[in-house]
Amino acid sequence: MNPFSYVRPTTEQDALAALAEPGSVALAGGTTLVDLMRLEVMRPGKVVDLNGLPLAKIETGASSIKLGALATNTDVAYHPDVVAKLPALADAIRAGASGQIRNMASVSGNLLQRTRCTYFRDNVSPCNKRAPGTGCAALEGFTRMHAVVGTSRDCIAAHPSDMCVALAALDAIVHLKSRAGERTVKLVEFHTVPDDHPNVESVLQPGELVTAIEVPTTPLAAKSRYVKVRDRASYAFALASAAVALDVQGGSIKDARVALGGVGTKPWREPAVETALVGKPATPETFTAAAQLALAKADPRPDNAFKVELARRVIARTLALVAGGAK
Amino acid sequence: MLAFARDWLPPRASDSELRALRSHLRGLGAELVIVGARQAWRLRPDDDLVALGELAARELHRDHGGREDAVLVLDHDGSVMFEHRQLHVDHSTLLAGLTAATEAMLSSAPMLFTRRGFVGTCVVSGFAAVVLAACHQKEHHDPDPAPAAAPVPAPVEIDVVLDVNGTKRPLRIEPRVSLLDALRERLNLPGTKKGCDAGQCGACTVHIDGKRVLSCLTLAAAAQGKPITTIEGLGQGDLHPVQKAFIAHDALQCGFCTPGQIMSAAALIKENRATTDDEIREQMSGNICRCGAYPNILAAIKAARGGQTG
Repeated sequence: MNPFSYVRPTTEQDALAALAEPGSVALAGGTTLVDLMRLEVMRPGKVVDLNGLPLAKIETGASSIKLGALATNTDVAYHPDVVAKLPALADAIRAGASGQIRNMASVSGNLLQRTRCTYFRDNVSPCNKRAPGTGCAALEGFTRMHAVVGTSRDCIAAHPSDMCVALAALDAIVHLKSRAGERTVKLVEFHTVPDDHPNVESVLQPGELVTAIEVPTTPLAAKSRYVKVRDRASYAFALASAAVALDVQGGSIKDARVALGGVGTKPWREPAVETALVGKPATPETFTAAAQLALAKADPRPDNAFKVELARRVIARTLALVAGGAK
Repeated sequence: MLAFARDWLPPRASDSELRALRSHLRGLGAELVIVGARQAWRLRPDDDLVALGELAARELHRDHGGREDAVLVLDHDGSVMFEHRQLHVDHSTLLAGLTAATEAMLSSAPMLFTRRGFVGTCVVSGFAAVVLAACHQKEHHDPDPAPAAAPVPAPVEIDVVLDVNGTKRPLRIEPRVSLLDALRERLNLPGTKKGCDAGQCGACTVHIDGKRVLSCLTLAAAAQGKPITTIEGLGQGDLHPVQKAFIAHDALQCGFCTPGQIMSAAALIKENRATTDDEIREQMSGNICRCGAYPNILAAIKAARGGQTG
């Protein structure tokens, strides 16, 4: 691990000033940052420990739940209001990582976690994300875990988060603060696709701080679930996962949200599937037909071509689960 | 470990060579002093290469050097535990020399060294501290002023206080020191194990503020201000019920993952979120056991849970 200086500000003002310095990086739970610093994939000059800031609250409002940036994944996944009003979010967090990591990892750290692409992490292979302009070793490499959609000729690294997939389906909003002021960004617009700049992964600006993620508590969200398919029963990243929310009235689908994990370079919302569901009867036939519209623009590699069909089946299964017709 | 390598020079050391050396040293819990033709350098798992000066090189040559290059293993008093001589040690062979010396020592002298003893005597605070102290002493008393070594930027250290097992422990450390390394190598609490050092195996599990976390992914500096409990402090006066259950149910084979398993299991019982066997397995998935003692670990957890109220 490279040397760095360490500060632990106790006010947002001090934190924003420290984060505005070139080469500084924010520390929350550390499960991504300390790992990548030890691998020397990340080599910040200054670590700004945010844990002195009062940003760990989970607040239930009239129409939303606001998750403080430093609330742990465990805090969120077992919060009674989250479990009752945003079940897909509770499902998704519990399906990720391990008990220890969920106790450490924060809301904002999960949002900003880096890819598990082995070529990014090995610190040796060409990687446009780690070392812009050096190429992408994954393109000619082993790609079973890589993305099939949102990819570019410069990067096919998958976004690893489960939590963000649920948040994408649930229309979450990211609250940001910098010395210039505050702003909000829709979660589905927070992460960016790699395009020709895989080193840029989100719209977060240097010196900007994630303060909270706000999730609307709609009737739709209360009927939401997350299903994850992976190589092991626990403690493995998604091959394909789906977060689904449905509003079904009188057997007919009034509204739908569908997002996918494990397949995209960012948490992947599927509007075409949602549109195909609305107005249709909530039947297995509807679910299967709509799911077929997912990943229409997928560009898989030979190793991960199976993910396209797998993801479609996960969507159909999750839709059936939410509609109450499957286990 | 001490390597005499006449042709070794820092400018020729590639990043990948240094990374591989650090990785080997980290696994041993040791540090390396490389003695070249005129200079000596110290390499620790989490530090940059530090030049020790020509005087140190001369002293080490005088005390331990020979006609050939060599790799030596020394204990904390600076006495030689094992020698691997007649090597030509350069940039392509240094790591191989270290590996050979380690393996030969561990396999050839089982009566002399237990692995625990070996690791214990090679801890970072051990050998080089002695060598450096000796060199500093020499510098004070030796009228021959050694030419200054190439300047290496001094790592900035900070003062922290860790609240470990009910005791406040002040430490001066670099910010990059993990809680795991601080516990094992500075606070003499080696019960917490270093398995993968990457957040994947759970061997380093401790409790911070009563919650199970991974000490390898926790910076010691960031762990200040909250009570830390390690396996050494889990039972209060007596063994903790989970420890007793692990013994009663033979929930281990080699035992390396066991402290982490027990810390995780004790927290799991307190969390009270797992009722079925599958839920316990799921909640324990962050603790890997290569011996495959899982059935007995599960049985021990159920027994310990049953024996406790609440």
